[in-house]
Amino acid sequence: MARNPIRDEIAIVGLGSTGFHRDSGGRSAKALACDASIRAIRDAGFEPGDIDGIVGAAEPGGPNPNEMSAALGLPQVTHFSSPMPVAVFALVDAMNAIFSGSCSTVLLYFAYTRLPWNSRSAAEDPFRRHHTLGVMPSPESVNAAAAYAAWASRYIHEYDARREDFGRVALNARAGAARNPLAVMKAPLSMEGYLQARMIREPLCLLDMDIPVDGADAFVLTRTECAREKTRNPVVVHAATTGLVGTNDEDQLPSLRRHGQHVVVESLRAKSDLWLEDMDIFFPYDGFSIITLGWIENFGWCPPGGAGRFLEEHWDPQAGCVMIDGRIPLNPHGGSLSEGATRGSGHIREAVMQLRGDAGERQVAGARNALIGCGGFFFNSQGAILRRL
Amino acid sequence: MSEGVDDAALVERFPYLRIDHDSKHFYRGWLDERLLFNRCDACERFHHPPKPVCPSCWCASLTPTEVSGRGVIHLAMFLHQGPPAPGVDYTTAPHPVVAVELEEQEGLRFTSTVIDCPRDAIRIGLPVELGWVDRFGAPFPVFRPLEGS
Repeated sequence: MARNPIRDEIAIVGLGSTGFHRDSGGRSAKALACDASIRAIRDAGFEPGDIDGIVGAAEPGGPNPNEMSAALGLPQVTHFSSPMPVAVFALVDAMNAIFSGSCSTVLLYFAYTRLPWNSRSAAEDPFRRHHTLGVMPSPESVNAAAAYAAWASRYIHEYDARREDFGRVALNARAGAARNPLAVMKAPLSMEGYLQARMIREPLCLLDMDIPVDGADAFVLTRTECAREKTRNPVVVHAATTGLVGTNDEDQLPSLRRHGQHVVVESLRAKSDLWLEDMDIFFPYDGFSIITLGWIENFGWCPPGGAGRFLEEHWDPQAGCVMIDGRIPLNPHGGSLSEGATRGSGHIREAVMQLRGDAGERQVAGARNALIGCGGFFFNSQGAILRRL
Repeated sequence: MSEGVDDAALVERFPYLRIDHDSKHFYRGWLDERLLFNRCDACERFHHPPKPVCPSCWCASLTPTEVSGRGVIHLAMFLHQGPPAPGVDYTTAPHPVVAVELEEQEGLRFTSTVIDCPRDAIRIGLPVELGWVDRFGAPFPVFRPLEGS
């Protein structure tokens, strides 16, 4: 067992979300972040003066922690930072800041705004024109988002995967979103509908890619011993990690069997008392469908290349979604594919809601433990295990 | 030709690229239609994209060294939409983008498009070789099927 002195020491005591929309109706990313943050601080039962740490993921177009502190009138903070996306970087930073004594209570926020390069309607918004990519990239690149289509081609080549294997990830997400009031994409989706969707970066189509949204999530974190003063059974972070291999340039990645996800899984397993058999809900990130297939295999739910068959075998036709062994749902909130491209904050928020028992019609009865595999293959692989004490 | 092309001129020749002090030798090679990968003077390993030190042994003495440009397609996708570029018309046909594993070293790859090749033949495993086309008035490296393959 690896050293993990922070195990169960940090609790998530406040949640706030704006919900996710294709268009926020003229609200800025900062307005959305404030909305979610105020909800989260009130949900925790705290006052502005109780917040002495502020951590916000450095999402393009999103507000900086200092701007948020000014907007919310926080009297003073002793820890503020802006980790890169995706969500567990910021979660880990907030946890470490509290555990080390840099601060005692953190407001952790994630604000998303559609940008001119990922949304046609955003490109028409005059107030978003100042967001540019700078030098326009060449088409001949497998960097960033394109990397997932490129490696999906390799996955298909090595494992003889079918489009339906990817499609089940999209169908599962859509079924969850239909049960989630915060989600943007609720229209029913069939396999036929998936197969007919427009190709974007073949072999990946429109429905293999997360959906750009406006919206924000916020969390309040504090020490578990403080959380116990308010509730006997707080939701705590049992273990969290990030993972990177040396050769992480997208087109130089060693292989589908050695990348950031593998480091995350090894690290998380070594830090955790809980593993797959203990889980009640599984959150494999789905910024692209291929990432989900990777997490399923790399956590060891099935052998490499077996995720398609795994999803098929554990498909619940009645519910129209995956239920591992008839009891463990995947991304029951709809994930990034259908709730909206939250870059992982939605996965964490849904995990907390489920563990609190606040997930409404999506509620997994008696849920105690949740496994999160966040981020992709290259430079943002991360994971966390959340539990209710 | 790269002779007499200073750093400012190099950046102007490739307005669509982000060039820095680590990658300037690589892109200067394009002007001579040569693909130059950093090779470590100590351990002789290549790496790409260009880094300030050899990631295998931390030697900072690196020589931009011409590679053959021959290799095998390792990743292959087809863009049905994407950034604009001269000669790229997504409405006519999806634009192929491939990462090619070069024969010089296992895992050493370079990404570009494939020309002079029917769509169905562009597959992982296809042997290819380097060619050069014009983009914005400067050479641009591409792949084509290896002659005789």
